[in-house]
Amino acid sequence: MNQERKRLDPRRPFVLSPAGLRRIILGATGGFDASLLAAPAHTPAAKPLRLKGDPAGYLLVAAHSQRGMLDAHAHQAIAAAALLASPQQAVAVLVFGGLNEDLRAYGADLVAVLPGADEQGFAPEQELASLCEFVTRYAPAHVFMPDNDIGDGDLGRRLAVHLEAEVATHVVELKPGAVAMYWQGGAALARGPMPLVVLIAPDVVETGLPFSGAGETVAPPAAQAPPGRYQNRGLREIAASALALEEADFIVAAGNGVADIPTLEAVAAAFGAAVGASRVAVDEGKFTRDKQIGATGKTVSASTYLAVGISGAVQHLQGIKACRHVIAINSDASAPITKRADLSVVGDAQEVMTALLAELAQRNWPDTARESV
Amino acid sequence: MMPPQLKIAALVSVGRNPASGAPRAARNDVLALDAALALAPEVSVLHAGDAAPALYDYLAYGAANVEVLPLPAGADALAPLAARVAGYDLILCGQRAEAGQGSGTLPYRLAKALNMPVVSAALEITLLGDEAEIVQFLPKGQRRVVRVSLPAVIALHPLAPRAPRYVYASLRAGRLLSAPALVAAPLPASPWQSEPAVKKPQRLKPLETRQGHARLLGAIATESKGGALVREGSAAEKARAILDYLRTNRLIEF
Repeated sequence: MNQERKRLDPRRPFVLSPAGLRRIILGATGGFDASLLAAPAHTPAAKPLRLKGDPAGYLLVAAHSQRGMLDAHAHQAIAAAALLASPQQAVAVLVFGGLNEDLRAYGADLVAVLPGADEQGFAPEQELASLCEFVTRYAPAHVFMPDNDIGDGDLGRRLAVHLEAEVATHVVELKPGAVAMYWQGGAALARGPMPLVVLIAPDVVETGLPFSGAGETVAPPAAQAPPGRYQNRGLREIAASALALEEADFIVAAGNGVADIPTLEAVAAAFGAAVGASRVAVDEGKFTRDKQIGATGKTVSASTYLAVGISGAVQHLQGIKACRHVIAINSDASAPITKRADLSVVGDAQEVMTALLAELAQRNWPDTARESV
Repeated sequence: MMPPQLKIAALVSVGRNPASGAPRAARNDVLALDAALALAPEVSVLHAGDAAPALYDYLAYGAANVEVLPLPAGADALAPLAARVAGYDLILCGQRAEAGQGSGTLPYRLAKALNMPVVSAALEITLLGDEAEIVQFLPKGQRRVVRVSLPAVIALHPLAPRAPRYVYASLRAGRLLSAPALVAAPLPASPWQSEPAVKKPQRLKPLETRQGHARLLGAIATESKGGALVREGSAAEKARAILDYLRTNRLIEF
C-alpha cells in the first residue's frame, strides 16, 4: 500500500545556475546548463533597438546642456519622443552645449551637438537659425523641447512663432497624437491634437525605457545668423552662502560623522558651496533648522552634493533625489549613502576634509580666480 | 540736454486667484507695471478685452489710467495690441498670464509682429541710451546680463525683485479709458477641448510587453548606478580622488 503512493523525488534532475543555485526545470534531464552561464543572473540584457531599418520619418528634440550633461527634464523630452515615435520614425536630438553622456538609453537615434552654445550663452538668433536648419534637414512631424528656464522654453516659443506653427506649452499629458495642458492657471485641462512644437512640463514622462536608441552622431547644423540685436554680457553668480539651499548648485552637507564644523565650512567656502546638514546634525544644534536637508527639511536640486559623515537614511535621500552628482565621505563602506553616491570615499571625515583643504590650497592661482571665471 | 522721453507701454491682463478663482490683477503683470513706472513717469497701460473690475487694481498699483482695447469674444488680442503699441520704445508684460491659456507666447508673437527683439525672464531692467540692459533669471542662483537694442519687448519673470504698493487713493484717482474698437482678426476654430482639471494627468510610460519570467526578472533587476568606492589609500589620495571626480565632470573650474 505504502509503496504505491506517489512521492516527489528529492534528487530529481536539476540544473545548476552560475550563482550555484539548483533549478528544477520540468522536462530537463539534469546537468549543468551552459545557457544560464552565458547570461549572468539578474543582469539586465542589452536592450533591443527601437528603430527597425532605415527611418521613414523623424521626431526632433532640442535641449540645452549644463556642464556637458542634459538634465532629467531634457532626458524626459527625449524619452517622450522615443515613446511616441512609430517603429519607422527616428528620434533626432540637437544638443546646445557640449555633451559627455550617452543618450541611447533615452532613445536618441541621431545626436547632433553644438558645443559652445550651452545655457551660459545667450544668442537666440543664432540658436534659432541652427534649430531651423535642423528642422529643415529632417522635416520632423513634431519638435519636443523641455519647457524650462535655461533657454529651451524661450527657444521653443521663438521657433513656433518663427515658423508660424502651432505650439503647446507646459504640456502635462502626452498620448500618441494628442496632448493636454493646463489652462486658467491650473483650473482647466485642455486637450487637443499634438501640434508641431511641444514644450513639455517636467516629470510627465518616465525615462526607464525597455529599448535603446541607435545613438548615431550626425553633423550639427552649420547655419550662421548675422550679428543680431542681442548682446550677452555674461553671467552674474550670487555667492552660495547668500542663496537659498534649494537654489544652490553645489552643497556641502554635514551629518553625524562631522565634529569639526569650522573645517566643513572652510571646505564649503573653498568650493564656493552652500552648507547643508542632515537631521541628526541639526537636532544636535550644530546647524540651524533652515539648513536641514531631507523629508522634514528642504529638497535640494544641486548639481553636486558632497555628503560628509552622512549615512544616508531614506528620509535624507528623499531630499537629494534631484542631485546630479553625489559624493560621499563616510567611515562605513556599507552605509546606504554609498548606494546612492556616484563616488564614495571610505575614511575618517575629518582627515579627508583636512586633506581636501590642503589639496585646494596647493592651487596655483588665488581664490579670486573663481569669481573672475 | 535731456534725453528724449521713451515711450513705454505695459500690457496688463485680468488675473485669477489660484485658490478662489476670483479675478484680480495678475501678479506678473503688476511686476511689469511696477518695472515700467520705475523707468518712466508716464506709462501707457493697455489691456485688450473687456473693462473688467479687476483692472482697477492696476490703478491702485500706480497706473494713471488703464486703456481698454475692446475685443470681441473669440478674437485674437495680437492685432489690436500690435496696432496700438507700434512706435513704442519699450513694451513690458508678464511672462505668463494667470487666466486663459497662459501659454506665454504673446510677447514672442507681438515681437514678431512689430519686428522687435524679445527678452523673457527679466528680473531688472536698466535703460542705457538706445539699449536696455536686462538681468535675466536662470535657475540655481545664476543671473545673466543681456543687452538689447530698443525698441524691444521684455517679459518680466514672476520672481522679479520688485515691491509694488497698493494705494487706494490712486485707485480712486485713476480711470479706465475705453479706446475705439479696432478690427480684430477672429481666431481660427480652436481644436482645444477644455475640461475641469479634476483627474491627475497620466504620465507617459512604455507599454509592458514582457511576459512571465522576463517580467519577473525585470522586477528584481535593479538598474543600479554602482558608484565608485575608494577604500584604500591615504587621506590625501582620497581627497585627490574627490577632486579628480569633480574635475572630470567639470563641476569645479580649478
